[in-house]
Amino acid sequence: MRWGMVIDVRRCVGCQTCTIACMQEHGLPAGQVWRFVADCEVGEYPDVRRLFLPMQCMHCADPPCVPVCPTGASRQREDGIVWVEYGACVGCGYCAVACPYHSRHLIHEARGYFDALTPPELATAQPERVGVMTKCNFCKERVDGGRAQGLTPGIDQEATPMCAVACIANVITFGDLDDPKSPVARLRAETKAQPLLPECGTEPSVFYVVE
Amino acid sequence: MSTVSTARTVELIAATPQTLWGKPAVINFALGGLGAGLYLAALVEVWLGGPGVLKVASWLGPALVLAGFIAVATEAGRPLRGPRVLSRLRTSWMSRELWVGGIFMALASAEVVVPVAWHRYPAAAAAIGLCLAQGFILRHARGIAAWDVPLMPLVFLLSAIISGAGLLVLVEVGAGRAPDGAFLFATLVAVVAGLLVWRGFVAWPGGPAFVHSTAELREGRAGALILAAGYLAPLLLGTLALTVPSTGRGTLGLAAILMIAGQVYAKSELILTAGQLRPITLANLTLRRRTS
Repeated sequence: MRWGMVIDVRRCVGCQTCTIACMQEHGLPAGQVWRFVADCEVGEYPDVRRLFLPMQCMHCADPPCVPVCPTGASRQREDGIVWVEYGACVGCGYCAVACPYHSRHLIHEARGYFDALTPPELATAQPERVGVMTKCNFCKERVDGGRAQGLTPGIDQEATPMCAVACIANVITFGDLDDPKSPVARLRAETKAQPLLPECGTEPSVFYVVE
Repeated sequence: MSTVSTARTVELIAATPQTLWGKPAVINFALGGLGAGLYLAALVEVWLGGPGVLKVASWLGPALVLAGFIAVATEAGRPLRGPRVLSRLRTSWMSRELWVGGIFMALASAEVVVPVAWHRYPAAAAAIGLCLAQGFILRHARGIAAWDVPLMPLVFLLSAIISGAGLLVLVEVGAGRAPDGAFLFATLVAVVAGLLVWRGFVAWPGGPAFVHSTAELREGRAGALILAAGYLAPLLLGTLALTVPSTGRGTLGLAAILMIAGQVYAKSELILTAGQLRPITLANLTLRRRTS
């Protein structure tokens, strides 16, 4: 089993709903995002193209961020999900400079949107995340919780990462890349889905459909 | 109306400066190299039959390395968890840096307490290991194109030797002595080797991301300054001191200061200026031109 995503960039309108849904799901403090949608203008006139590129952790099969971690806080599960054990992280930032995808974020302080933290911000605050490295974890709590209930991630919404659930244009397809019958594996096979920075050799689990 | 399509590799998100490793990291890399290099240079001087400043190097070298570790700890989000950094010796070069740095500090400073020579070789090996480990830390930072270069450990080793030798010369000059001629010659050889490795690094065929992020080191003011003040001027001044001893200790002192400053500046530029997160690229993207 290897969890992965296919992101159909052709459908993305750059609304950032996935970004907000992720922030809300994980109670991220102000100014922190685990994913974002880049507005890219490429080429030079007259050969130009504009596209919206959702960016997040690629959950690489060979993640460069994991072996460099000096404390073992950066980990990879059997199912390919790369995550951070907050209690073991020293916040050295080595994994962030080892990641070619700009997808690791150190929370320096738990800032709110106003002078003082609001009741909702206090309710979702997670002090164990301050001073340590954070990142997208493919909503592993939703995936694991859903599977425990017999649900199928990528098909049942309760077991699917929040970004994929919230997307208004059905851009993000999540599921088991190793299961040829899963929607994500089929979409990957049927389209010219390609990873970012293949030259880095990290074997990302997130693929992009651009054509 | 017809459509002309071209598929090519495109940059979607530009390279951005990394912000997590700042001045404390530079201080660690600079002082680590300076301390380990000083000890190595002092051993070489003793080996060549010079008067030697091994006693000074035995406490000053470890003290500099320790200061570097303390500096970089202030940059960590949870510095009190620092001892955990020792736990991944098998995979992480940062763990290895702390281990060999600790071993170096223990062995080198033992000379201050117990004046025996047996531990000098393992201490020298640990000093070399520390310099290489610092280079390998950057080598394995795959997100930074300018650092992910096989030559990096060698760059760090030679940088440490040059800056350490500079500090040794400065200590000797400060004590009113002139270093031994053989040691000076060995230092000049190290500077030449360092220059060749540095030029090899900046000319590395590392792809567009590497070329872009190292442009300042190759063609900019910083690159010219490193080359001129960090390598060529010390070479000139050192050669002058070696061939015309009457030029005095002032020439040697100036060369030593330039050797140290040049290497510290080079590391600073490498971390702060060339340290840019890779641009995000896509191997194939079709760009369509509509013609009528």
